[in-house]
Amino acid sequence: MKTHAATALMFLLALAFGTSAVQADEAALKLMQESHKAYYYASEGGSARVTMEIVDKKGRARERVFWMIRTDVEDMGDQRYYTHFIKPADVRRTALVVHKKAEGNDDRWLYVPALDLVRRIAANDSRSSFVGSDFTYEDVSGRLPSMDDHKIIGPDSAMGKAATKVRSTPKDDGTAEYEYRYTWVDDETKLPIKEEYVDKKGETIRRFEIEQIVVIEGFPTATVRTMHVIDDGQTTIRFDEVTYEAPLDAGRYNERLLKNPPPEFTK
Amino acid sequence: MTQGKHAMVNFAVNHPKVIVAVSIIITLGLMIPIPFAQIDTDPENMLEQNERVRVIHDQIKEEFSLYDHLVVGFVDEEKPLTQEFIDKLGLLVEEIEEMEGVVAEDVMAPSTVDDIYRTPDDILVVDRLTADRQGYETDVPVAEKIADNPILQGKLGSADGHVIAVYVPLEKKTYAHDVAESVRDEISTLGITANVHIAGLPVAEETFGKEMFKQMGISAPLAGLLIFLLMLVFFKRFSVVTAPMIIAVMTVVWTMGLLVLFGFTVHIMSSMIPIFLMPIAVLDSIHVLSEFHDRYQKSKSQRVAILSTIDELFKPMLFTTVTTIVGFSSLMLAAIPPVRVFGAFVAIGVLIAWLLSVTFNPAYAVLLPKRVLTNFGRQDEGRSLLGRLLPRAGRFAARARVPVLIFTLVLFAIAAFGITKIQVNDNPTKWFKESHPIRIADNVLGSHLAGTYMAYLEFDATDTETKSVKNPETLRLMDGLQDHLAMLPQVGSTTGITDIVKKVRFELKDGDSAAAIIPDSPEEIAQELFLYETSGGDPDDLFKFITPDGGKAVLWLQMNDGDNRAVDEVVQTANTYLEQNNDISNLGFEWGGLTYINVVWQEKMVVGMLEALLGSFIIVTIMMTLLLRSFSLGIMSMVPLTLTIAVVYGAVGLIGKPYDMPIAVLSALTLGLSIDFAIHFLKRGQEIYKKRKSLPETMNELFDEPARAITRNIVVIALGFVPLLFSVLVPYITVGSFFLAIMALSGFATLIILPALVNLRGERAFRMWGVKYAHPHKTTSQTESEKEMVS
Repeated sequence: MKTHAATALMFLLALAFGTSAVQADEAALKLMQESHKAYYYASEGGSARVTMEIVDKKGRARERVFWMIRTDVEDMGDQRYYTHFIKPADVRRTALVVHKKAEGNDDRWLYVPALDLVRRIAANDSRSSFVGSDFTYEDVSGRLPSMDDHKIIGPDSAMGKAATKVRSTPKDDGTAEYEYRYTWVDDETKLPIKEEYVDKKGETIRRFEIEQIVVIEGFPTATVRTMHVIDDGQTTIRFDEVTYEAPLDAGRYNERLLKNPPPEFTK
Repeated sequence: MTQGKHAMVNFAVNHPKVIVAVSIIITLGLMIPIPFAQIDTDPENMLEQNERVRVIHDQIKEEFSLYDHLVVGFVDEEKPLTQEFIDKLGLLVEEIEEMEGVVAEDVMAPSTVDDIYRTPDDILVVDRLTADRQGYETDVPVAEKIADNPILQGKLGSADGHVIAVYVPLEKKTYAHDVAESVRDEISTLGITANVHIAGLPVAEETFGKEMFKQMGISAPLAGLLIFLLMLVFFKRFSVVTAPMIIAVMTVVWTMGLLVLFGFTVHIMSSMIPIFLMPIAVLDSIHVLSEFHDRYQKSKSQRVAILSTIDELFKPMLFTTVTTIVGFSSLMLAAIPPVRVFGAFVAIGVLIAWLLSVTFNPAYAVLLPKRVLTNFGRQDEGRSLLGRLLPRAGRFAARARVPVLIFTLVLFAIAAFGITKIQVNDNPTKWFKESHPIRIADNVLGSHLAGTYMAYLEFDATDTETKSVKNPETLRLMDGLQDHLAMLPQVGSTTGITDIVKKVRFELKDGDSAAAIIPDSPEEIAQELFLYETSGGDPDDLFKFITPDGGKAVLWLQMNDGDNRAVDEVVQTANTYLEQNNDISNLGFEWGGLTYINVVWQEKMVVGMLEALLGSFIIVTIMMTLLLRSFSLGIMSMVPLTLTIAVVYGAVGLIGKPYDMPIAVLSALTLGLSIDFAIHFLKRGQEIYKKRKSLPETMNELFDEPARAITRNIVVIALGFVPLLFSVLVPYITVGSFFLAIMALSGFATLIILPALVNLRGERAFRMWGVKYAHPHKTTSQTESEKEMVS
């Protein structure tokens, strides 16, 4: 509540005293960076068993279960991700290593167990689906706040919690598949508890919601998240067995990891 | 006052104004519902809504999110299409996605489809086809990218880069025409200079519907006008000739009004009802006019002339009406709903036309001012061209009866040979003339691309042991079938989940073309598809070929020939292949796609029409025997009809014109119309014979007024429908030619072959059961039937 009030006060001050818009934008950027850190950079890494349910427009559901582990190379900078698939059965042991870069394109390698082959892949981060779900790669690994112009709309509430509504517009519209988005930053945890992606015509095309927040090892963690694609399908991901004790050294995210995963992540 | 034999006719003559007033009121009343008519131009509706093939077709479309689509093709004959064009095309596609009725997310264009490739650093990428390829100095031209991709080649463009196509999926087929128009507008707004062709069955079907109503507005009234002018030539009095036209118009209005009132849609079939009813309605009236025309000068009384005319014609008119009704009612047995509606309402219309002929006609005749009729019919009296020629024809037929019969038999033999050559075939695109833009689009895109006709073959593994198609056995069966079908010239391309698996495998194995095969393990298949999704491929693209749970897959068959025969050959070839090569128990196969639906309804149509024709042929033979009360005459009366049908369909076979939907339906018209002249000729022959009791005298009288009426009918109907021959729609041309052929053939058969047969049979020819014929030269007392005539 305290932060909420502070934000509101700052916002009012900005209006009342005609403080330059630049300062207001800086406040917005700062808030988004805080949120980005809370959501993508909690601790220095961690792992979770993720269950993903992809439901298409016709209500047909597919389930994916995978382990996801992360190690931050640098706070708010480069990261390493490892994803190891458990289900569906026929893709078991398929695995993905991502070197997320703060600047430039991410590097990705996919391991195809049936061929015992590692292949580097590239996809358009902002547009490409993350393993066939309604989330994009960018939704999963994060979009740098510095890529957008942010503006605080004001105090609001979302998912039953007090939040600050921020409007973010991509600086280069070639980097996004939407015109702008709204983020409701939870005043308490700073997690982006709700997001709405709006297209050129002003219509909402996607809506993201955090349905459950659990504090794990001192870190507020979004354990249930859903991405709705308006007039289409939706994907819900649930995080279990979450821990923030970074299990792997950043240097281990390589081809060897793909071919010989630590046994605790293959169950 | 003189009274006729029939109460209905007497009433009309006694209360002419009542008849006219009631007719006008009914006409105005039944005009009201017509503007509310529901138009239906969908050939799919040739089948019942719950017909299996339609249910399966809809199910396949639903499961794989497939839609009927337009194909918009851009062609530059001189040089490959430029990058500038591709950029403009991207803008066009954005506009198309905004159009009403377009399924935006499924528009297939260079700017919307995905491409799989490897960068120079061997990174596997799935990205938009129009996006620059990562890691390359200069981008690869779009045409080359298309040619490299087995999933896209032939569909999205030609390998030489001269042709690029956009596939526009439609929420419903009914949007086809409007979307096509909007696309054309947008193309000119954007200044795209390439030649544009828009093809695809939905646009052909929709445009046909629109054209059809245009044609109805032009051809039908034009035919009416011509019929009117021809009658004016024969009967010379404007106000007299107006009567048949009024009857024709009223018949059409009443029938169509009732059709709409009963809640039926105006389908391609029922839109032809007015064209069918017009000649039938006019036919009876011409007999009445013709007779009235020849009798008026004898009595100088409208009342006497019209009553004796109707008395003379009542039976033949009733008989022809009943036989025509039987002919068209037989269509109600067909398995095709629009054909049933068509048959029923033409039959109703025929009844209405008859009713008006025996009531409105006399009422109108009585109401005509006397001065109009001064000199009416006088100039004729045997001195006209017809008056001089026809008796000669009669004498010729009597003299040359044996050669005439031999000629007839030869004609039958040729016709029978022709019938064996008939090719059952149809293609809604070919309902347009060769020069129509839709046909041109079809030809151009069919020759440059894989084709614009799509069929779908679903592989259903839900009941198999693995419950999935994602295994080597099923995919190899599909892959083998694809190779097998590729040998047919009409198959432009086939696409299935197999192609995606093979393409991913090919790229995974560093572009080794030997690797582009279906792998040995189900896991590898699953992982390759997974790789496609993981490296940026849109999962929805996969689900156009396979269901998310992998239980079913669908093979797309793109054909450059939409003729039912061509499609049927593909279906048969595929079914045979699957029968011989499928070892997986309980693997199911189902066909879908508009082209396939067309094949199914046409089969039903051909069989149904043949059955209807045979059925009504037998019924009409029995009816004629009973009506004419003579077995030999009953059989004879069928000769003109049989000859007409045989020669018309023999000619269809000989000239190689495909036996299509319009031709099948016209068999009912042939049956209904070509018996008419025979009835008039033979029935009136019997009536005359009762009085004259001499065959030569009867024949002489028959070749007077009755023959003239028949000849006038032949000329009026045959020439009246000549405007249809200039239509842009082939079915209308067919109908026009059929009218000409039916009139000419059945007229010839009635005026030449029938007299020959009658003469061959001799004096007994016109005798009826149950009537005593005293020897013509020995008695002067009247027979009972003659007393009846005079009363």
